[in-house]
Amino acid sequence: MNKTVNKDHLSNIKDMLQTGKLPQWIMTDPEIHQLEIEKIFSKKWYFIAHESEIPNKGDYVSRWIVHDPVLVIRNGEGEINAFINSCTHRGVHLCTADLGNKKTFTCPYHGWTYNIEGELVGILAGNKLYGEDMDKKEWGLRKVPKVESYHGLIFASLNPDSEPLEDFLGGLKWYFDIMLGRSNKGMEVIGAPQRWVVDTNWKVSAEVFVGDAYHTAMTHRSTVELGISPKDPLFASNGYQIQLENGHGLNVIQPPASVSIPPYQGLPEELWPMFQENLTEEQLSVFKNTMVFNGNCFPNLSFLSPMHGKGEHENLTNFLTIRQWRPLGPDKIEAWSWVLVDKEAPQEFKENSYKRYVNTFGPGGTLEQDDTELWTRLADASKGVTARDKNLHFNNVVNYLMGLDFVEPVDDFPGPGIAYPTTFLDVVHRGFYEYWQELLSKES
Amino acid sequence: MVKIQEQDQYIIDLELQNEISLFYYREAELLDTRDYQSWFQLLSEDIIYRMPARVTRDSSSGSDIIDEMSYFEDDYTTMKTRVDRLYTKSAWSNDPPSRTRHFISHVRIKKGRNENELEVNSYFQFVRNRGNQTINDQLTGERVDILQRDGHDWRIAKRTIYPDHAVIGTQNLHNFF
Repeated sequence: MNKTVNKDHLSNIKDMLQTGKLPQWIMTDPEIHQLEIEKIFSKKWYFIAHESEIPNKGDYVSRWIVHDPVLVIRNGEGEINAFINSCTHRGVHLCTADLGNKKTFTCPYHGWTYNIEGELVGILAGNKLYGEDMDKKEWGLRKVPKVESYHGLIFASLNPDSEPLEDFLGGLKWYFDIMLGRSNKGMEVIGAPQRWVVDTNWKVSAEVFVGDAYHTAMTHRSTVELGISPKDPLFASNGYQIQLENGHGLNVIQPPASVSIPPYQGLPEELWPMFQENLTEEQLSVFKNTMVFNGNCFPNLSFLSPMHGKGEHENLTNFLTIRQWRPLGPDKIEAWSWVLVDKEAPQEFKENSYKRYVNTFGPGGTLEQDDTELWTRLADASKGVTARDKNLHFNNVVNYLMGLDFVEPVDDFPGPGIAYPTTFLDVVHRGFYEYWQELLSKES
Repeated sequence: MVKIQEQDQYIIDLELQNEISLFYYREAELLDTRDYQSWFQLLSEDIIYRMPARVTRDSSSGSDIIDEMSYFEDDYTTMKTRVDRLYTKSAWSNDPPSRTRHFISHVRIKKGRNENELEVNSYFQFVRNRGNQTINDQLTGERVDILQRDGHDWRIAKRTIYPDHAVIGTQNLHNFF
């Protein structure tokens, strides 16, 4: 009875969340992991690439939607398509390179060849072997049912009935406009994504990014000790936590009144006229006074746009990193991290922005190396009998009570979503798990 | 891939070969005994310390190093921050400390940019054990150094680390390579 996830277990999660508690067993449960693949990752939009990674005809990148290999190709008309990266003849992984440019893709197994439209254009000795009856048109690469972009972010969905991407993003678009749509030519990826493996569950990393400003003072205390992060443990609480539809959420961290920061996260002044051209007054007013944006686009695309110095408080430099937490199993993820910069930013700024990112984030980053350590410790402690008990006999619930029932939303925040007047809250975490629970509980 | 050099480009000098190999063993010892401050003394003040990203590419597509993205992109100031951080009370990635081994081999010495410098290629295997792990994390690859003579010793003026991994197989890179 305790072994298989049933409806009662799932509805119990919902009840618990309403009281600010989350059953601990769901974190690295193998059945939950399978349910997530079926009901979330196969049904909703999944980030696969940024348009600047494949700027030219025939450019491609190989990606994964959990365990589905996906080949993302720009065709002759400049359109981007995504195909299941598996030869239709025997199913071999067709293109194993991470990136490149090709006119055709030939399977090394028997030589079936596809063009950049995914059409089967060549079969080794085909006419003699398959006769006239086999129609090559029926044996092209299988298209990923839906591919749509927003400000260069390419999302795919394995579900042909997915709602339009923009409907799914909802209010998050307003904030993506600020981070990704502010300059005339948009953003570009620097180099290629960093990739590394962490023994944790994807929900752990997603929920840190969605709104866990609270962890910064302790997880990153080493940088406080060094004097490069603020001493005040409440420093990162200033600003707003924004709950959005469909499990999305973010923090908009602003400085306390005593601290002044350069406008627009210290981005180069050359770009400011573009911001004024591309953003609304309301977006500019939020952007201008914000130090850090961090959030999560449900399910597993996180973003962070902070300001970091080189070891002192001066010359704080902004960077933007977007993350995909690819689940490799219930307790393993492959982290993908892209760094984005405005195409029209001066070269010097691009270099500084990239360097500040690499110094502080990614697997070698002085901040993020401590995050991943603690995420693995969370997963390690969630596998025992007392953690796994689905009937919660061991009171195995973890705490999402921060702000519950006593922090009220504000009504004068100009952006979409429900805005709360502090970032030290578990509102967006509860929102993330409420939507997650809703999807897992759906019949189809 | 770092291009294989012609044999005559290497300096064949047993004494120098021993000296540089011993320098690397001593460096490994400092790192593996967690004497990061002494290790930091081996860096010159104009150090450039990098680890460019690797990708998987077809052999016809050229280099599989992405020089524009890296896992380390450091100078003296940022390296000092990294080292100092490991002496704080809350560098969780290395506390409890990892047990590490740096295996350095295939040391090949070439002339440097001037007579006080050498360019040295070496292979590395970094092995890390944490907590109650029974299987070690590891990172392998090649290093290309510029070493500067400093009296009777050497300083590392530049180190470029080329990992073999397109996907880094450890949760973080809290150590040095």
